[in-house]
Amino acid sequence: MAAQTRTLISQTQLSRPRGKVLYWTIFGLVVAVFTLVFIGPLYWMVTGGFKTTQEVIQNPPTLFPQHPQIDAYTAAWRQLNMARLLFNTIYYAGGALVLQLVFCVAAAYALSKLRPVLGNVILGLMLMTLMVPAAVLIIPQYVTVVDLPIVHVNLLNTPWAIWLPSVANAFNIFLLKRFFDSIPEELMHAAAIDGASPLRTLWSIVLPMSRPILGVVSIFAVVAVWKDFLWPLLVLQDPSKQTLNVGVNGLAVGIQQNVLIAGLTLASVPAIIFFLIFQRGIMSGLTAGSLKG
Amino acid sequence: MTDIIEVGPIVAAVPHQRPRRTRTGGLRRNVRAHGFLIGAVACFALFSWYPMIREFIMAFQRTKRGQTTWVGWTNLQHITADPAFWQAWRNTIMYTLLALLLGFAVPFFVAVLLNEFRHGQAYLRILVYLPVMLPQVASTLLFRYFYDPGYGLFNQILHFLSLPGSSWLASKDTALISVVLASTWMNMGGATLIYLAALQGIPGELYEAAELDGAGVFRRIWHVTIPQTRLILSVLLLLQIVATMQMFTEAFLLTGGSGPEGSTLTVVYLIYNYAFNFNNFGSAAALGVVMLVVLAGFSGVYLWLERRTKEA
Amino acid sequence: MYARIYGEATQDGGPGALEYAKPLRWLPTTPQGSLIIGIHQKGSWMNTYRKMAAVALAAGVGLSAAACGSSSTKTTPGTGGSFSPVLDPATKVTISIDCAPAANKPVESKQWADDVAAFNKIYPNVTINAKPMTKCEDPAPFTAMLQGHTETDVFYTYFTDKQQVLDSGAAADITKYVTPQTVPALKDIQPAVLALNADGGKLYGLPRTNYTMGMIIDRALFKRAGLDPNKPPTTWADVATDAAAISKLGNGISGYADYSAANTGGWHFTAELYGLGGRMVDSTGKKAAFNTDLGKQVLQNLYDMRWKTGGIGAAQMIKWGDLQAAMAAGKLGMYISAPDDITYMTQTLKGNASDYGIGPMPGTQGALTGGDDYYFKKTDTPDQIKAGIAWLNFKLLTPGKGQFQYDRNKTGGLPVGIPEPEFFAAGSPSLTADNSNKLASATLPVANYEQFVSNPVTPVVEPPNAQAIYKVLDGAMSAVLTNKNADVAQLLAKAETDVNTVLANS
Repeated sequence: MAAQTRTLISQTQLSRPRGKVLYWTIFGLVVAVFTLVFIGPLYWMVTGGFKTTQEVIQNPPTLFPQHPQIDAYTAAWRQLNMARLLFNTIYYAGGALVLQLVFCVAAAYALSKLRPVLGNVILGLMLMTLMVPAAVLIIPQYVTVVDLPIVHVNLLNTPWAIWLPSVANAFNIFLLKRFFDSIPEELMHAAAIDGASPLRTLWSIVLPMSRPILGVVSIFAVVAVWKDFLWPLLVLQDPSKQTLNVGVNGLAVGIQQNVLIAGLTLASVPAIIFFLIFQRGIMSGLTAGSLKG
Repeated sequence: MTDIIEVGPIVAAVPHQRPRRTRTGGLRRNVRAHGFLIGAVACFALFSWYPMIREFIMAFQRTKRGQTTWVGWTNLQHITADPAFWQAWRNTIMYTLLALLLGFAVPFFVAVLLNEFRHGQAYLRILVYLPVMLPQVASTLLFRYFYDPGYGLFNQILHFLSLPGSSWLASKDTALISVVLASTWMNMGGATLIYLAALQGIPGELYEAAELDGAGVFRRIWHVTIPQTRLILSVLLLLQIVATMQMFTEAFLLTGGSGPEGSTLTVVYLIYNYAFNFNNFGSAAALGVVMLVVLAGFSGVYLWLERRTKEA
Repeated sequence: MYARIYGEATQDGGPGALEYAKPLRWLPTTPQGSLIIGIHQKGSWMNTYRKMAAVALAAGVGLSAAACGSSSTKTTPGTGGSFSPVLDPATKVTISIDCAPAANKPVESKQWADDVAAFNKIYPNVTINAKPMTKCEDPAPFTAMLQGHTETDVFYTYFTDKQQVLDSGAAADITKYVTPQTVPALKDIQPAVLALNADGGKLYGLPRTNYTMGMIIDRALFKRAGLDPNKPPTTWADVATDAAAISKLGNGISGYADYSAANTGGWHFTAELYGLGGRMVDSTGKKAAFNTDLGKQVLQNLYDMRWKTGGIGAAQMIKWGDLQAAMAAGKLGMYISAPDDITYMTQTLKGNASDYGIGPMPGTQGALTGGDDYYFKKTDTPDQIKAGIAWLNFKLLTPGKGQFQYDRNKTGGLPVGIPEPEFFAAGSPSLTADNSNKLASATLPVANYEQFVSNPVTPVVEPPNAQAIYKVLDGAMSAVLTNKNADVAQLLAKAETDVNTVLANS
């Protein structure tokens, strides 16, 4: 482990016997409580799927399934078409990520370093959209997606209905711009003197320095698509094109409690596995690249 | 850990430096710059700005029998006459305050706590962030199951501890706080990690100096931690207020939107109800505009206060 | 067995039944025999109904004759300009239609495919593009669809969506296409049901299914509680007694339960008020009419069961889907509902079919009725409308075919025997045929539905602006079910003011 930077409580204070006892007590307590609070519900969910319809709503409940059975899981799997929903969701999230990395980075770079006329006005207009509740705009947005102005293309039931609106992400542009702002202007000048075009400067100077913020923006982009509910419900009505959230919601109407819980587990497991595999990257990305105070 | 330290100095080195730019090649430079912007601007124009303009227009229109007519302020009068209007605003403000208490303060203190741990930080961070990764519908429905007053997990735990059970979602007194609790569990991970990052950017010498001055733990938090993370705190606070005022999915799935005696009815759900259940887009748009004005006004005042305190 | 029909019921029913459905007069107008629907201006519903039925019958008979005549002599394709509602077999037509069964319903999906194949034997020129859906209507996607004009050529709606569909200008007038020639069972469909698909003298849709509400009970719990499962309670006093007895079984069982969320609470308040003979709005449709003794009774009944007599459990903020799941899990004694919930509980929730029975709506003064239908998109070509009607006729409106092919449902393992749909008129050949078909293939214990079937209750349609009114009454319903200090009179007074505001603004 790298040398610990000094934090609120000093290392010397912690090394004292009293500090040690206090530290380990609090540490143990926090680990126990956090495990309970964050893993407990998931444990309850996973085991709930193994219980019978009766047992899952039994009072008092059972800590372990009495007669573990996978009927609920098979039923949920059949009704949920998990593989399809999962593929769709990843596909949408991946596309949104690529488009955002291209267009949001380009826009933030232009706003931060190229500074065209009306740049601040454009930024202001973008930031303004953060104030508008998504539910409010959903009808005019839907109408737009159905018949794209000027080109008159219908995007319903196509991935573009998710991808293109995802680029209009003011928060990510804001994060990127703030980060780009902190890149010394001298570097830009040096590149310009060397005759590098803005694109080349972006590619070989700005982007390599921006890996952490790109990580953050990537996570936000993926998580946003992953979590969205109302919008995909509207624009992707074809069952074979739906996202996980919409699929699970469709399953949830009047179904046996154990099948529902099994379905929730099935929907959550891929996310959990994905997260555990990539947690190092996600975590260091989120912690390292965020806004500095 | 190491990469954080490597990255840190670069970020901190030249904060918000105003570039001194030569005014040459203005046109070409501008065209090129706008070329970089065009993709994002097109998407904003199509999916944010144009819908917003339409929204404003719709707020003054009413459609009947396929005929759209201009009705002026009628929609606005109707929504303010609706008894649900004030209730929705009361709930939304209440929800925002509760969500701030829990969704802002809790992640901050969790972050401060985690930052002190010399062990297991990675594990705890994973735990806190795990719920963020779950599909929102899945975790919300899971909480609905836990909140059942009969067989739900929460009442069973209370029962096990010989405490009286609660009605949770099934009472107007507890429904809103139940929604906030569920929402905090689901969403606190993101904020916690951002605070953690901010905390790790605080120079250790400041704590050192404060300690030498004889400041205790809480005074150190107050005089070092908070001022040092103030910018990020204030940005997140603003974003969080705006986001929580738009809360929709949680209440929609947990209480069906309105909740007992309308106790979880929020402005956004009211908008949804006008549009999708009453088929009254004029009123939905009018309420949307009201919300927009409130949020924009709030943000403006907030930013103004921010600037003033900074200058003072 | 299934001779429980609006017609009969309505004739001895009280005033106000179906008062919001604009009554129709069926009149033959053209030699080809298409129909025109007019609005009846004044007069009590009962008289109108009798007149209407008579006219419809006469028209039907006359029309059949006309239709026969025209098909043999008059209709020669190509003869200049004369309109024929029948699809020309030479025209190639493609129609899209939604609410087709999705992959999660394999049996229905196969039936749909088989029906399309059989239909194409008769109409090889028609291509049907089905849009499978797991949930046929969800308010948000449905509204978005109307706003974006993305509905299929033939699209699914609830009866209560009529105003919304017409307001969005989405529906085509199909009046002149619906004739005894194109829909042979037309004369057997109750005029009242067709009226729910018509507006301002024009017909816009054809029914798919319809229902009236009753009291669904868990017979097993009734027996365990020492009650007679063949006598579902028909008064709210009995409901309270039975519910208390069932709740005493313990183990999380609730004797009775009711909705209070997502606008379904107001829906059930309406149903219960109708049961007692009350109405939601007055005859103008602009003023609330539920703040009466009957309205108070509805809320008081629920309040007492929740807080005094112990018939209703603590779990609240229940909406559609929750009660069905609870009953299928054996945790609920009874609730009010449409009969098709029994299908749902046995088929989807794997409940035990023999456990479920249904009785008439408590109060028995009126039963809320509803259903769903198919409308036609405004931009449909005449040929698309003709093809769509031909398909709907084949799939939904022909006894022994499509949805009424019970032997096929039976071999496919689908439950048969629910008293639904019920849009064929009493004593009509279609109903007789349908009932005997259904009985021959019944897989459900139809004896359990005897009380519902043999004690028909006057159907009453939902009020105008139903969803907005329901939303307000969700508040009152949730209050009595979740708040021990709820004041019934005060709640109703407030709801009345609120509904009047909502109606004034609509």
